Amino acid sequence: MDYARYQRKKTIRKIWVVAGLGFAAYWAAVSCKVDFSALRRGLPKGIEFLGFMFPPDLAALAELVNPALETVLLAFLATVFGAILSFFFALAAASNVSPPWLRNASRFLLATERSLPEIILLLLLISALGLGPFPGVIAMSIGCIGMLGRLFGDAIEEINPATLESIQSVGANRWQVIRYGVVPQVLPSLIINTIFRFEVNIRLSVLLGAVGAGGIGYELFYAFRLLEYQRATSAILVILALVFLSEKLSGLLRKKVAPEIKLR
Amino acid sequence: MIEARNITKSTKEGVPILKGISFKVEKGEFVGILGPSGAGKTLTMRCLNGLTQPTTGEVVFTDHRNHAINLTRSQGKELRRARQQIGVIFQGFNLVKRLSAIDNVLIGQLGNINWLRSLFYGFTDREALLALETLEKVKVAHLAHRTVGSLSGGEMQRVAIARAMYQQPAIMLADEPIANLDPSNARKIMQLLKPLAEEMPIIGVFHQPEIITEFCTRIIAIKDGRVVRDGGNGLTRAEMLDIYGAEWSEMEAHRPRETPPTENPLHQAPSAPGRGLRPLPA
Repeated sequence: MDYARYQRKKTIRKIWVVAGLGFAAYWAAVSCKVDFSALRRGLPKGIEFLGFMFPPDLAALAELVNPALETVLLAFLATVFGAILSFFFALAAASNVSPPWLRNASRFLLATERSLPEIILLLLLISALGLGPFPGVIAMSIGCIGMLGRLFGDAIEEINPATLESIQSVGANRWQVIRYGVVPQVLPSLIINTIFRFEVNIRLSVLLGAVGAGGIGYELFYAFRLLEYQRATSAILVILALVFLSEKLSGLLRKKVAPEIKLR
Repeated sequence: MIEARNITKSTKEGVPILKGISFKVEKGEFVGILGPSGAGKTLTMRCLNGLTQPTTGEVVFTDHRNHAINLTRSQGKELRRARQQIGVIFQGFNLVKRLSAIDNVLIGQLGNINWLRSLFYGFTDREALLALETLEKVKVAHLAHRTVGSLSGGEMQRVAIARAMYQQPAIMLADEPIANLDPSNARKIMQLLKPLAEEMPIIGVFHQPEIITEFCTRIIAIKDGRVVRDGGNGLTRAEMLDIYGAEWSEMEAHRPRETPPTENPLHQAPSAPGRGLRPLPA
């Protein structure tokens, strides 16, 4: 086969792929009722709406401090609970600490949890526990386990099994091996990933708040429903400040705790 | 005192690695084990510490109070109590790299102290002082608060020895303790171990025949999963050939020979008459 033919064949294949993707996108757009003329007609309306939103209701800012704090506390509590739970799941999920059946069972649970969005968890919990921050904390704590448990577990599996064996060889029991062999070796990675998860949880806590867990997210949602658009703008500003601050804080803490470790 | 009684060990697939190893080591002995790689030396050591369970046969260990413990049959608490009295030094040091040297030494007593206290509180001042004294004995007390990961190989091995000493064991096992060290550090480590052998029996795996014959009181050779030699510390060339086979003659052929300068004509002082390079005729 000469080179020109080979190249022609490759080009034809590319055309097929692009055409296929284009058709799929067109079909998806039609079934989702995408209408660009609606966008054109809606644009002036949107600009007019933005006018309603400004200026932000600065008087409401004082009222929004408490809900904002609630959101932060929610995220904090969920991160602490979640990190502790994750550590035990991670121990069970590490091949150098746990027997294979337990490792596989724990890894399966972690993977299942990862594929389950927190919002579904929250809706399930709300139907059981009613509205409020408590189901929010539980939903977010469980939400941590999938990600943190996996990351912690991987960090534990990186420990040289010979090190753990040498602690065993002095007559230490399983918990002592974990306390003196596992914990010191993975602590920096544990702290860093937990801090990162706190940052994620702040954003998540805003979202879950809107669904019914309270806090600043709920305020935003409620302001929109009552058509208090200027108050909503204040809430958005508070949320932006929260997210920005939590990102800065977590970056700072990460650099302080373990400058040598990069986040995965 | 520790005794291996006809221990055998096979892999999961049923391939025999140890084919019946027996020996008995008493107080005052410094036993060197040698043999080609893959002969089963490390596996034998693991069986002696109960880290690996032999397929058949048993290991009996006599502790400080003259209790005989069958390591092969004991489990859980009994096994941990026995291990507490068996100090082990590994080739790769196997210390906890993110902990300080003194913390690594303190780990040596984990089997002896209340485990709840060790989980939630840690160690007492008295224990720390004792650990520091042990580090002093191996001459690394000045590194007590350095993270082990930042130490050199020789220093790490000293910390590892301090940890094993701090266990106050009834016997010391050393699996290739000097294999990762340069010759000068290796000799220093051996000089540390030698006087210890008077307090407790030491069993070590070594690859250097000259070190074994210099420091050990007894030499056991393992080849192909069996003890092929067990006796005093003299090693003849024929014995080495027997243990290592053709590998040994190869090794010997490539060993740098100590050649006195007078035998090398190039190093010959020109004034010496009758030998070496003759001055070119005028």
